[in-house]
Amino acid sequence: MTILQAQQLTKQVSVSGSSLNILNAVDLALERGESLAIVGASGSGKSTLLGLLAGLDLPTSGSVSLAGEEITALSEDQRAALRERHVGFVFQSFQLLPSLTALENVALPLELRGDTGAELAAAQFLERVGLSERLAHYPSQLSGGEQQRVALARAFASRAEILFADEPTGNLDTVTGRAIDELLFEMNQEQGTTLVLVTHEHGLAERCGKQITLDAGSVVARR
Amino acid sequence: MIALPIKLLWRSWRAGALQLVAGALLLAVAVVTSVSLLADRVQLALTEQSATFLAADLVVRGPHEPPSDWAEWASQVELRTARTASFNSMVYAGDEMHLAAVKAVDAGYPLRGEVVISQQPFSQLQSDWQAVGRGPQVGEAWVDSRLLPLLDVELGDTIEVGATQLKITQVVVTEPDRGGSFSLFGARVLMHYADLQAAAVIQPGSRVSYRFLMAGESGSLAALQAQLAADFEQRADQHWKIITPDSAEASIADTVDRGRKFLLLAGSVGVILAGIALALASRQFADRQLAQVALFKCWGLRSFEVRRFYLVQVSLLAIVGTALGLLLGWLFHTALLAVLADYLPAELPAASLQPWLVGIATGVLSLLGFALPALWHLPQLSALAVLRSEITGSPMTTAVRLFIGGAVAVLLLYGYSGNLWITLGMVAALTAVAVFIGTLAWLFLAVLRRFFSQLGGLWRMAAANLWRQRLQSQLQMLGFAAAIALLLVMAVVRGSLIEEWRWQLADDAPNHFLVNVAPYELEPVKALLAERGLESAGWFSMVRGRLIEINGAPPPADLKERHESLNRELNLSWSATLPENNQLVAGEWWQADTPVSDGPVPMSIEVELAEELGLSLGDFVTFSLGGLRFEAQLVNTRSLRWESMTPNFYFLFPEGVLEDFPRSGITSLHIPASEKMVINDLLRRYPTVVVIELDKVIAQIQSVVYQVTQGLQMMTGMILLCGVLILYAGVALSMPARLQQSALLRTLGSSRRAVLQLQAIEFALLGGVAGLVAALAAELTLVIIAQQLFAGSPQIHPWIWLAGPLGGALLVSFLGVAYSARSVGLPPLQLLRQLNR
Repeated sequence: MTILQAQQLTKQVSVSGSSLNILNAVDLALERGESLAIVGASGSGKSTLLGLLAGLDLPTSGSVSLAGEEITALSEDQRAALRERHVGFVFQSFQLLPSLTALENVALPLELRGDTGAELAAAQFLERVGLSERLAHYPSQLSGGEQQRVALARAFASRAEILFADEPTGNLDTVTGRAIDELLFEMNQEQGTTLVLVTHEHGLAERCGKQITLDAGSVVARR
Repeated sequence: MIALPIKLLWRSWRAGALQLVAGALLLAVAVVTSVSLLADRVQLALTEQSATFLAADLVVRGPHEPPSDWAEWASQVELRTARTASFNSMVYAGDEMHLAAVKAVDAGYPLRGEVVISQQPFSQLQSDWQAVGRGPQVGEAWVDSRLLPLLDVELGDTIEVGATQLKITQVVVTEPDRGGSFSLFGARVLMHYADLQAAAVIQPGSRVSYRFLMAGESGSLAALQAQLAADFEQRADQHWKIITPDSAEASIADTVDRGRKFLLLAGSVGVILAGIALALASRQFADRQLAQVALFKCWGLRSFEVRRFYLVQVSLLAIVGTALGLLLGWLFHTALLAVLADYLPAELPAASLQPWLVGIATGVLSLLGFALPALWHLPQLSALAVLRSEITGSPMTTAVRLFIGGAVAVLLLYGYSGNLWITLGMVAALTAVAVFIGTLAWLFLAVLRRFFSQLGGLWRMAAANLWRQRLQSQLQMLGFAAAIALLLVMAVVRGSLIEEWRWQLADDAPNHFLVNVAPYELEPVKALLAERGLESAGWFSMVRGRLIEINGAPPPADLKERHESLNRELNLSWSATLPENNQLVAGEWWQADTPVSDGPVPMSIEVELAEELGLSLGDFVTFSLGGLRFEAQLVNTRSLRWESMTPNFYFLFPEGVLEDFPRSGITSLHIPASEKMVINDLLRRYPTVVVIELDKVIAQIQSVVYQVTQGLQMMTGMILLCGVLILYAGVALSMPARLQQSALLRTLGSSRRAVLQLQAIEFALLGGVAGLVAALAAELTLVIIAQQLFAGSPQIHPWIWLAGPLGGALLVSFLGVAYSARSVGLPPLQLLRQLNR
């Protein structure tokens, strides 16, 4: 069952009067439980594509279908509702809120949805990523790898069907990055999540079932 | 969806992200509430105190005995009442006689204040005085010290008032409603109201001023006042006049009013400063919310949910902040009262509801006007843009936010002062400050960059940093300079208030008037004063005359009934030049050498009297002087400073007009307590000379003035606190960018010391320039204030130009370095990592 599909996805921005193609007629389709790596050089349009697929932005032309809904036809609020039901995120810069503890950071999206027992669930996921001793620690008291573990716990705790990860190990050293990769794929496996990730890392991309390579906004290779 | 925003608000507080916003709000409400509470209670106390100048809360004055209904009405609404009757009458002791100013008072007198009596005539020692809450008993007389030598009697002797004999049992030092009125030419004799009938001094046609005194709860007073006014209307009797404490004494009312204006000004400054601090702090808070909003959006929160989330937070902040602010304001004001205990009445009246409402309105409006605009854009943010760090600022333009903040500031100022002119004055001054600072800051930054680029090293880098972020620098300078300028203005205004009152408070301020000195007595009196080493404030001549016609016709009957000056002799004087303490309001002063024989005689009138009599420039007024008529034309109006304690005249003419009429001399002089007996000698030798003793009145004024100035001193301190908060908020707001640079410099090998030095130089330059601009802005504001509030001529204040830049540089660099020192000390990598989040 196709959970994510893009057709002729194009994004143009206007830069000092002339229009610039950031994405050029990208097509892709992803079945439930599959994983896709978007690779390419800096500025090739990877993050833009991720944003469009997740419904955070609208394409200039083309369509995106997420969990069976055509998101280009939805309003911002409708897209938000769609994200709430189906989507999770992992960011390169972790995006943990500095004023919240690790536990509170993980619990926050659950609390926003009104889940009872948010903190209990959060604690379980933090335990799963190996941080059961650091629940009350603030992000500034955690290392980069630990912070990304918290971010992973947060992403999976919301039990999203499809997880978007933007360079999840881009800010980490190689060894720590590998450990995070492992964790990401393990948890993905456990939860049967569909995974879309943007990465520079060849090794990480290789672990995904599918892979597209972007260059100057166009798909130049597909696996 | 209320619990979560509250939970997150608490977490923000716990993480220290909310302290500035909450602190600014708390301080805004606390300052406004405490200022308002203090002003309210002191004002109520002053009103109560000026009630003691009336000996009542409300007085009805008229030429007949007050109808007995009134006392009944008053007792129905539980008001206390008293009656007095004042008139001039000859009093006798043996062969001696004196035209005394007699006041008969009943058992209820005085309702407010106390009568001060003594067994030691002329004693200035307070230990000899005794304050009592009653008047003389039936058969007794309490008299002015000076009556004793005039009648050659002593305490215990008997004097005759009309057909009755009264025993002098006390010397009266002062009574509360004595006032400084010049109509009381004779020595005071206080007697009991019940003795009036036996004395039979009041005959039909006698000129008697009856007063019906009332005191009690303000609601009852207002009700009775309305009832009395309706009664006058019904009786078609315009002889009765209602006197309230406000209208009681011109000079006292003036002092109270000036104090109140300043209290309001101080409060308004507090509102503005706290508002600026709140706006700066809110921006910082909003910047910290960007990541959270982006995450909310990613997780599917819709715009209206984000908006509702922040509305709940802001509302909670408003409720808690305002409630705590009110509490803190109450504590602040009790602390102020404790400090001022020596100067304030022991029992201050309870505050009215108004200060609390003002505090609440300040809290709510401040958040709406200063904090909400900074947060308004959050729900609209694109998550993607935030995550990519493309948006950091607010899409609501600075102009719009300034407009909203400005509108709320105006609303608060108006609500607080209730005075459109003070509001507009403040707004004009602040707008001028903002425009000036914007322009001047830019100019100074350009000059700095050019000048410092030749110095090299840290100085060049600091100046270049400021220039590169000139928009941000300008904004910060706006905050700093506004705070510094307002503080400077406060300091000067407070200083000039005290300065203005100084001569009133001076030890050698005139405290006695000598009136009715005949031309042949003038030289001997001067000689006597010189002999005792007493200096007069200059001698003036005056003649007495009646105003009989206005523009060729007798004054209308209603005007005549209303206005006492049309029913008695007026003091007319002359001067070639505009006297000191007089200020021309309209028209031209006459040339000293203008011959007055041609055409109508030019005349100058005190501006308020001219308005009350309906006179405008060019009108003709006819006077009768000892049966001779002469016509004069109004050519100019003047304002007077009654509080100057020197002879002032409602009517002035050029030289060469009045000299031939019977005239007398008048002067004012300071008679120290030790020389008080000179009055005795003077009166024995020249019995027709009238001495008006104002020393008691001045002492009363002084106590009011001391209270007010002490209060202002404390309030200036509190506003300084608001200024510091602004500086702190401004420094905090600019800190992330500064720390980023510090981290880079440290990574590149600069020592911690060098980085701190750079910070210090940058802040010092910022504060110094802001201080310089502030000095200029303060000077300009003072010009307006000098003209509007104090009717004085503007002047340059050199110390401002030193204190502004120096104070600004020191304060801002101290705050900035203190704030950043800990962070700069962190290892660079840790610092960068913190900044990236």
